[in-house]
Amino acid sequence: MAQIKVERRSMRVQEWIDLRFGWLKRHIYSEKYEIDCFTVREARQTSEMQFEFYDEKPRPLKKGDLYFTPDGTAFIEAELDVPPSLRGRDYCFLLKTAAEMIVKVNGKYAGGIDPNRERFDLSSIVPDTHIKIEITGYNRSKPDDERNPESLSVRGCRQIFEGGYLAVVDTGVQSLVYDVELLTDAASCGLFSEDFSALVYRHLDKAMSMIDYDNVLSEDVRSAAEYLELNVFSDKLYRGSGSVELVAHSHLDIAYYWRRIHSVQKNMRTVLIQLRLMDKYPEFRYSHTQAYTYETLEKYYPEVFEELARRIEEGRFEPAGGMYVEPDCNIPSAESLIRQCLYGQTYFREKFGITVNNAWLPDVFGNSWILPQILKKSGMDYFVSNKMSTWNDTNRFPHNNFIWRGIDGTEIYACVPPTHFISWNMPSQVQGNWDAFQDKDTGTSTMQMFGYGDGGSGVTEEMLEYMRRFSRLSVMPETKHVSGSDFLERNFTPEKPLAVWDDELYLEMHRGTFTTKAKLKDYNRKAEYLFREAELVSLLRSEKGEEYPADEIREAYKKLMINQFHDILPGSHITPVYRDAIADYEEITALLTRIIGTGDRYFNSLNFPREEVTFIPDESGSFIRKGVKGRFTKADLPALSCGDIAYENADEWIKITPDSVETPFYKALLAQDGSFLSLFDKELEREWVKGEFNTLKLYDDRPGNYDAWDILPDYKEHPVPVETAEPLRFMCSDGECAEFCALLKAGESYWCRIIRFFRRSRGIEVENIVDWKEKHKLAKAAFGCKVLSRELVCDTSAGYIRRPTHTNTSWQQARFEVCTHNWCDISETSGGIAIINENKYGAGAQGSCVTLSLLRAPERPDPTSDTGLHNFCYMIYPHAGDFISAKINRKALEYNVPLMKNDIDYCGPDFAPLCLQSMKLSEDGTMAVYRLSEQDGMRGRLDLGRKMKVLNMLEDEIGETDCVEYSPFEIITLGAEI
Amino acid sequence: MENYINSYIRPRIQGDGGEIEYLSREGDEVTVVFRGECSKCLILDRCIKWIEQRALEDTGEAIKINGIRKRPYFQDR
Repeated sequence: MAQIKVERRSMRVQEWIDLRFGWLKRHIYSEKYEIDCFTVREARQTSEMQFEFYDEKPRPLKKGDLYFTPDGTAFIEAELDVPPSLRGRDYCFLLKTAAEMIVKVNGKYAGGIDPNRERFDLSSIVPDTHIKIEITGYNRSKPDDERNPESLSVRGCRQIFEGGYLAVVDTGVQSLVYDVELLTDAASCGLFSEDFSALVYRHLDKAMSMIDYDNVLSEDVRSAAEYLELNVFSDKLYRGSGSVELVAHSHLDIAYYWRRIHSVQKNMRTVLIQLRLMDKYPEFRYSHTQAYTYETLEKYYPEVFEELARRIEEGRFEPAGGMYVEPDCNIPSAESLIRQCLYGQTYFREKFGITVNNAWLPDVFGNSWILPQILKKSGMDYFVSNKMSTWNDTNRFPHNNFIWRGIDGTEIYACVPPTHFISWNMPSQVQGNWDAFQDKDTGTSTMQMFGYGDGGSGVTEEMLEYMRRFSRLSVMPETKHVSGSDFLERNFTPEKPLAVWDDELYLEMHRGTFTTKAKLKDYNRKAEYLFREAELVSLLRSEKGEEYPADEIREAYKKLMINQFHDILPGSHITPVYRDAIADYEEITALLTRIIGTGDRYFNSLNFPREEVTFIPDESGSFIRKGVKGRFTKADLPALSCGDIAYENADEWIKITPDSVETPFYKALLAQDGSFLSLFDKELEREWVKGEFNTLKLYDDRPGNYDAWDILPDYKEHPVPVETAEPLRFMCSDGECAEFCALLKAGESYWCRIIRFFRRSRGIEVENIVDWKEKHKLAKAAFGCKVLSRELVCDTSAGYIRRPTHTNTSWQQARFEVCTHNWCDISETSGGIAIINENKYGAGAQGSCVTLSLLRAPERPDPTSDTGLHNFCYMIYPHAGDFISAKINRKALEYNVPLMKNDIDYCGPDFAPLCLQSMKLSEDGTMAVYRLSEQDGMRGRLDLGRKMKVLNMLEDEIGETDCVEYSPFEIITLGAEI
Repeated sequence: MENYINSYIRPRIQGDGGEIEYLSREGDEVTVVFRGECSKCLILDRCIKWIEQRALEDTGEAIKINGIRKRPYFQDR
């Protein structure tokens, strides 16, 4: 006989409660009528609301059948008579699924079903006795929220149909289920006192024992509920403290594990669910972001949009966040962020007569210091974002309700709620929020968002039922259900002693998103400047009678806005999202190139004279730069002017020996891999190199599950050797430029480096041509500079930010990788080195070594991420004085805005020394709009020479002037009537 | 079959965050590698059946898919 080790065990009271709770839940539906006439037609979505069908005709769909296909949409239908026994009674439509479904009944959008909810009330919405059910279902392998454990177990592309029903809910059982769920959570979370937990468990045990689970009787259920009411809900012995305000919201990623074409339905389902909940729960208010999602609803579901508009009028459905989408707030330029506000607010104004007073960006990966000014001048007084409090990997962000002071000194009220933006309104989450709230002594409440999200979904009936019970549970903090703006307007007032955060809102995580998917970053930068050129050229042409292509530009700009969404531009998405983005960028580029047109002469669209060497495409040139044949020259074109360019011939301006290069500026010793052993500045009589300089570095880059998002702080401890396949050799030269080339082997990838010295520029350009075949690698260029500085200065696109290069405290240690725009610079008083880039955003600095992140190779969410051919340049720019006296910002603009061939004339002011960010036709078509930014931290006066309108960023007139007094980093918008 | 899997099946699999790579064919057995979300899918066998059905319907070839899962190091095994 086998020996079996027997362990005696007894069940704890909590386990008994759980067991009986499972039995109780089986009785939620007192009657169920299976709908046995479903049919299904499988399809795949090809574009917005366009589908390719697999089957010509629908096939029957029976319980147990497989349905849905990879990346599939299923159209499911049934037509039936409501069983006589249900007529005149309350019943629901019930269908358990891992998919997301929009359900139409008798032509009316009746409700939504998804992994977070299995039913909606039907009889109250469609009381007819004969019903036709039409379902659009989209199945994804990643349900909305991985925090919902039930949804995890059922994900996958092929689902088993579990049947659809008309069902009657036993409201007594259902109510008791909510009671038990709520109390179990409160008792088990460990956030309330042990004595309170003991009390709850004791009485739950007693209440659950009042029911015979073989024969569940309404009176027993009622008795159990009354018992809990008397002994738990009416017990006021245990008192909580604090004030938590609950804002209903659903986070909707426009694209992530799904394409933006799918977010049309995701948004519709989310909105529909909230509207139906509003029918049932009069106290329910909901906050929904992103003008783009409203636009798609209006376009494809006008009847639901009308219903939504009515709820907005009633004040129950709240447009939150004034931006067009929830963009990444590191990488887009100032002008892009302004357009996010302009197009978002313009939509909300036009459709609902509302200027939204807040920026609602719960999930973005850190926030540029330029934002407060942009938001404030776009009608937004409040800023909301959760990530810093919940995701920082090193430091606890010290505030939740505070004042955020921007780069220019603009102050905006900021709320960084203490907990995640996705929650399901459990007592533990509410208490957890209050416990984590760090500004209790300001007298403000804390904000808790509730509702499932990422792919929408939002609030469930349970969440609202729990909320109704919160006030009866004395152990909890005081709660109030409010809209987003309600919370912000009441809690952020001048009387409240709020702390001031005077810095960027750096997220100590997701640092890889500055670099992942390099091609998107490249397209984005180029598109931003192409828009600048296209609008400027179009405006100048319109002054001569040509039509300004306002609609074309606006639609294309909106496409750019969508692709700046915080899971698109940062690179954290699946393969098809990347393809869509590339297709969009190509379309935008083609359109803008067409609008810009061409000419015989060259136009300098920058509002300062060009001083740098630039590349001119020319079939007779000696160089191939990024696949284009051409030559370099110094184009001496004044600001905003058109002219011809000339080429100079010069002999013997460069001396080349086997190990050195001497130019008018430098004597350089180069290693075989293209790095510099020495860079001696002849003019300034100093050495620039200290350690590795222009060295290609490769690192093992394995941050784990958040592969596309993160770089670990210890990446430097995992270097991968880079070998020289073909040593550096001289390639060619002309009177302006000399070119050298080395071929390296970095991991499995061949990496060609072309180094260019110039006769008339201090800049040294490095072109990189890479066949990138890596997985989990990070490539950087390192620049060990002989410069004593404790700051890396980074471009923000509208001013600069200084970041320490030491690691004295954990705050500095955490910023080992930061976002920069066109340039970064490390300087001492007498000189420094700028690294100017054309499409890179990730930089690091430790001591005097600056690194520029070049490429990554994550595998999740996109196993194909970044593989393939890359071709990009950067410029090393040693200079005298600091970065301001060296005009580094202007040099970086010249580098990013190539001369364009165009025969146009401009005869207005050049606005110098301010930077002309944009010049466009106003949205209403009545004004020329000029956006100017102070980039160098200077104060001064600018004589305009005529009266101009002073505008905010929404193009509202706020004054008139003929002289602008500007302050450091100020962004000014002016208008001139046409 | 390689072309069919790359051009027809792959975009659909990628649409759900998965990845399929054709590896080889011996007789009617086609070996593919599943990455991404597919590599950890609990019900991948249903998807494999669907690929076999589609291939039969679209190409007229009856194949048997031999799927190899390649999970990234950070995913549960």
